[in-house]
Amino acid sequence: MECVVQGIIEAQHVEALDVLLQGLCEGQREAVKTHEICLKSTVASELHLLCDLSKRPHIWTVKHIGGAMRGTGAEQLPALVRNIVESKMSNNALRFFYAVGYKMDYELLRDGFAYRFQRAFPITVTVTSVCRLPKQHSIDEATPVTPNIQLVEVTAPATADNFSDVVPAISSFAEHLSPLVNLSKPGSFAGIVSTASTAAASLLSRSDRLEHRV
Amino acid sequence: MVVKWVLHWQPSAGAQVTSQTLVDLFRSIESMNGVRTGRWQITAAQHRPFTRDQAMAIDCAKELLGVAFSEFASKHYFVLRAERMVVEADSSIQAIMEKLQVYRNRLSMVFEGFQYQLGDFQLKAGRAVLSQAENLRGIVLEFAQVEYSPVSSIEKTRQMMQEFVDLWQEAISAQSMSGRISLLEPNFAEYALSDTYTWQHTALQYIFLFAYFLSQSQRA
Repeated sequence: MECVVQGIIEAQHVEALDVLLQGLCEGQREAVKTHEICLKSTVASELHLLCDLSKRPHIWTVKHIGGAMRGTGAEQLPALVRNIVESKMSNNALRFFYAVGYKMDYELLRDGFAYRFQRAFPITVTVTSVCRLPKQHSIDEATPVTPNIQLVEVTAPATADNFSDVVPAISSFAEHLSPLVNLSKPGSFAGIVSTASTAAASLLSRSDRLEHRV
Repeated sequence: MVVKWVLHWQPSAGAQVTSQTLVDLFRSIESMNGVRTGRWQITAAQHRPFTRDQAMAIDCAKELLGVAFSEFASKHYFVLRAERMVVEADSSIQAIMEKLQVYRNRLSMVFEGFQYQLGDFQLKAGRAVLSQAENLRGIVLEFAQVEYSPVSSIEKTRQMMQEFVDLWQEAISAQSMSGRISLLEPNFAEYALSDTYTWQHTALQYIFLFAYFLSQSQRA
């Protein structure tokens, strides 16, 4: 299971978000460059095959995203809670899924960075530009779908026993980012923060002053 | 990873593979001063596509073979023989395949027995049985040279491994057993596996043995 909130941010404010996340995180910034292939079958549920291009050798992972939690209780949660099963695979994963009846529906490249936070629960913040590939698997020719907008996702693993604690943890963490990005359940679009420019300017100027002192 | 050879007991014409054969094989190992160090288990499974009506049928591999090792429980292996493919995945792939409901388990075979240390070599000897049934389908023998500069190259170790098999065969002949140990070596290159030995090589060897034991029992 995982809990998810997401939002969008203007590309011009990503640097400020990076500064904010650095301030919150004791850990390292990680590069994110993921080739994502969505696979569909006429008789089975869809799969997401991800190739982590930021590592050598590339790491392939297959992800099965199950249905979101439903019901009145779930609707009132500020984060999406959904079943998810992942498995790392050898680099012939795509050929394997083609052989068992899957076909590629679409593919994209996610290019950006991530921070991992260890609070009461592990939380990952990913900031990426979503890019289309003009020809099949043409990673080097990828171009952003929305050049001026990037996607911010905050996720945390959860179980049936602890998701009711993980959701408020994610929600509370999301508040730290609210000067720059509105985070909400996927599908409940919250829009761009109208005062993000002011917040970004303030963050960047504080960051500059700190660097000069050092 | 050290090179492993997976062999099976080939009874002489007219002879049967029985539980006594396995006991005698354990004795042959112990006669060479093999020390029993534990148990082992490997499970192989054959899956077929779910039967659907014509409108819902999908074009997919007609057979999916899977294998899991108790000594490496975090991983699971699939083999598609027609497509000449070996796939390694985290063991959670089984949960994913279960959710997809593209394939159903048709039958499973358990390989299990005792593990021995014999000088520089580690040996496994055991039986192969279909799960849910106790009929002995075959006897499997696996060995690897684990001590004293173990090597990962299949070709570089071939001569040494063959010498060990010949030695073992002598010990078996000394016990007047009616048969021999036999290697069923897959063409690893056909499955895009290199000379450097990996768990995928082991998975392929056990799948070949699984298929061989199944075909033998169908013939009988």
